[in-house]
Amino acid sequence: MVSTRKLGSSKHPLAEYVYRLESGNALLPDSPENVVEVVGILKSYGVVLDAYSRNLIYTSEHQFLVLFPFFKYFNGDVSWARLVRHWMHDRINFEYAEYCMRTMLWHGGGGLDGYLDSPEFTALARTVIQAKIKGNVLLQSLDRLFPDFLLEQVRQYTYYSGLGQFWRVMSDMFLSLSDRYDQGEIQSIPAVVQHILNGLVEAANQPITYHVKVDNQTYPIIPESAGLTFLSDTAVPYVEAVFFRGTPFPGTVSYNAQANQIPFDQSDFTYGALYADPLPIGGSGIPPTQLMQDMSHYLPEYLHEVYRRGLREEDDLRVKICQSFQKSMFCVTTAAILGLMPHPADTTNPEEQRANRTYLEKWMDRLVPSQLTVIQDS
Amino acid sequence: MLSVLIWVPLVGAILISLLPDKPATSLARPVALTVALGLLVWTTVLGVQFDPGQPGMQFTEYLVWIETIGLNYHLGVDGLSLPLLCLNALLTVIAIWSSDRTILRPRFYYALILLLNVGVSGAFLAQDLLLFFLFYELELIPLYFLIIIWGGPQRGYAATKFLIYTAISGALILASFLGVVWLSGVSSFDYEPLRSQTLPLGAQTILLIGLLLGFGIKIPFFPLHTWLPDAHVEASTPVSVLLAGVLLKVGTYGLLRFGVGLFLDAWVYLAPWLAGWAAVSALYGASCAIAQQDMKKVVAYSSIAHMAFILLGASATTRLSLLATVCQMVSHGLISALLFLLVGVVAKKTGSRDVNYLRGLLNPEKGLPLIGSLMILGVMAGAGIPGMVGFVAEFLIFRGSFPIFPVQTLLCMVGTGLTAVYFLLMINRVFFGRLPVELANLPRVQWGDRLPSVALALLIIALGIQPNWLIRWSEPQIATLVTDYGQGKALRESLPIAAVLNAPNVPVAVPPSVLPVAPIEN
Repeated sequence: MVSTRKLGSSKHPLAEYVYRLESGNALLPDSPENVVEVVGILKSYGVVLDAYSRNLIYTSEHQFLVLFPFFKYFNGDVSWARLVRHWMHDRINFEYAEYCMRTMLWHGGGGLDGYLDSPEFTALARTVIQAKIKGNVLLQSLDRLFPDFLLEQVRQYTYYSGLGQFWRVMSDMFLSLSDRYDQGEIQSIPAVVQHILNGLVEAANQPITYHVKVDNQTYPIIPESAGLTFLSDTAVPYVEAVFFRGTPFPGTVSYNAQANQIPFDQSDFTYGALYADPLPIGGSGIPPTQLMQDMSHYLPEYLHEVYRRGLREEDDLRVKICQSFQKSMFCVTTAAILGLMPHPADTTNPEEQRANRTYLEKWMDRLVPSQLTVIQDS
Repeated sequence: MLSVLIWVPLVGAILISLLPDKPATSLARPVALTVALGLLVWTTVLGVQFDPGQPGMQFTEYLVWIETIGLNYHLGVDGLSLPLLCLNALLTVIAIWSSDRTILRPRFYYALILLLNVGVSGAFLAQDLLLFFLFYELELIPLYFLIIIWGGPQRGYAATKFLIYTAISGALILASFLGVVWLSGVSSFDYEPLRSQTLPLGAQTILLIGLLLGFGIKIPFFPLHTWLPDAHVEASTPVSVLLAGVLLKVGTYGLLRFGVGLFLDAWVYLAPWLAGWAAVSALYGASCAIAQQDMKKVVAYSSIAHMAFILLGASATTRLSLLATVCQMVSHGLISALLFLLVGVVAKKTGSRDVNYLRGLLNPEKGLPLIGSLMILGVMAGAGIPGMVGFVAEFLIFRGSFPIFPVQTLLCMVGTGLTAVYFLLMINRVFFGRLPVELANLPRVQWGDRLPSVALALLIIALGIQPNWLIRWSEPQIATLVTDYGQGKALRESLPIAAVLNAPNVPVAVPPSVLPVAPIEN
């Protein structure tokens, strides 16, 4: 544990959380209620992420350059019964996964973004595009008229695949967390954070690759030689894009772009999961609502029971899920912050302590307008 | 048949008050609800058996009661009273249903509700002036107790004010009734014989002014209205539903039945002033509603504005405008009952009716989305949006009154426009925006709370889409209300409508139904 006296007090408005992180604790207070909420919600999130991940990877591999992918949410299993269930909305909202994918694509960042602008990627993408459009007059014409169109589509499919691979890892991590909780191994919020941190570290260097099969021939789009890895090229950009920046999606909050209520610079966006106001959940067309709706189907019974005991019982289920989800995301953020900390949290070297302090205060600058203080008491 | 509507709730009230102490809490409500439902069914049977094509009173019952003072037990129902009887039966069920299940002194409470029903039904059925007065006064007693026992913090003040105003109202009405009987020289208070009296215009006018003030307090019109907002604010939700839904209608019913029915000459003579009074009352009610911060007061002042339309329609005395007054009575009864019910739910769940405190209640998960949606529907109906019963009633009133009193009608139409202003201000403040944290954990609304509002909303829409279901009972019969007696013919020639209709270029757009019922002679 770091002695704050040796380092001096932090003047940051969120100094309390800086000290917490310096002492290796989490942004979310440790309490039995929070453990139940976080582990329970991450279990349902894990199940949903599994579905999202499978669909994103399916789309990137099997709906590659299909201009009208009517059945992309069916994972290849198209039947009348499935179609009817889809129309009756008895399904997973894969639209939310695409929303996150597009958010990542738009905000960029990390090695994946840089790679997509490299000549190596362009050459590989061109090869696969030529293979795919061979004999397809429509696509050939489109490619001739708009040479960048299909290339940009491939960039998007790359993000489909990248996010799918990232969520694959996260899904397994959250489900194993739930298993460990069921076995009594996880009993505190720091233990949750440590589990996530271990998972991130374990998968940190896992390669991110992407291959597409056209006419029984496999074409690489992200070869292993590109050197893209899980943590720096998908996890960090994902946290930045989805947790922090997000998009001012219509319906969540009213924005007046003409009155400059939306920051000019994308990096100043604060519309991500950590800033989201849980109360408007349930309005039509809000992507987080789709996620909450999906998670509501897979809640473990112990968490569902907690929600049912509320004053409004199941009426505000999605808001409660959103609040729990936000708590869990602060645990993931804690793990990411601790994982990326320049020096170990328990370092005794004053220089390293100072570096850590500066690093943490920068994170806290970004968390000032977030829901961090709200979740402390809820 | 009609006596059932009086004696069954009376017996029910006595039965409930005699229930043994122990199971009273659990039995009083079901017994009251059973009686009220039975009355609703019985009223429906009456409606089915009622022949709208047959003019005059139907199902009449006559019994000499106290011959020496000319008081007879004379009941009857016609196209004017039948819709109001239905309204009374329906709203009594809704009021009992919406009453708090854990209410204190349940025997007394439910007995009073049924007594209130007796008073209102009796007033609508009475074909004897004194009998009407007895029922009119009878309803005062339960309402006074309902406010003073189960009301809000200022209930003593509100109930006493209501009592004083209504007592004065009763005295004025009684004086007019006694005056018409004595001056006409008839031996009884029977309504029908009194209609053919030929009192001089001066006497008629004085007696009518007594009735206008008496019923004007009850309805109420500006400036006799000050008891109403206080009574509404302090009364519990079911009592407000009954007060706005049917009790105010006893006043408008009395005005039509006795003011127009007995003193038609004087009515026609005073009509331009009455139309002006309606316009002032409508604009005053609407203006006050804009300034209110309490949701219940907004709805209460809107009642003052909307009840004024009935006076406008009645003062025009055209077949269409009179028919419209019946529609407006039913329409306002349904809409105001709905709005008071919804305000009651909001107050019950949030603990407040303050428009400056409440916010974002349309929040789909944490707020009161269905209640908010129904409130928007009720507000739209109140503002006269087509497709709902409010539009039918207000359109008919303005259509029927405009050829006679164009300026007053236009002013009332401004009042309707203001309805949208004050209601939308309320809706915007209370239901839109972000739900504040302190309101983010409201208790959930049970279907028991929603059911009465949903039923009223469906009825408002149904009668708006199919207004014939409402007017078919009254249309052929309303004419008999203003069958010309006395000096009406001559007087009407002095009205603006006479000049309009006698002109060679009578607008073809004016249908025959707009013409005054009594023919105008050159």
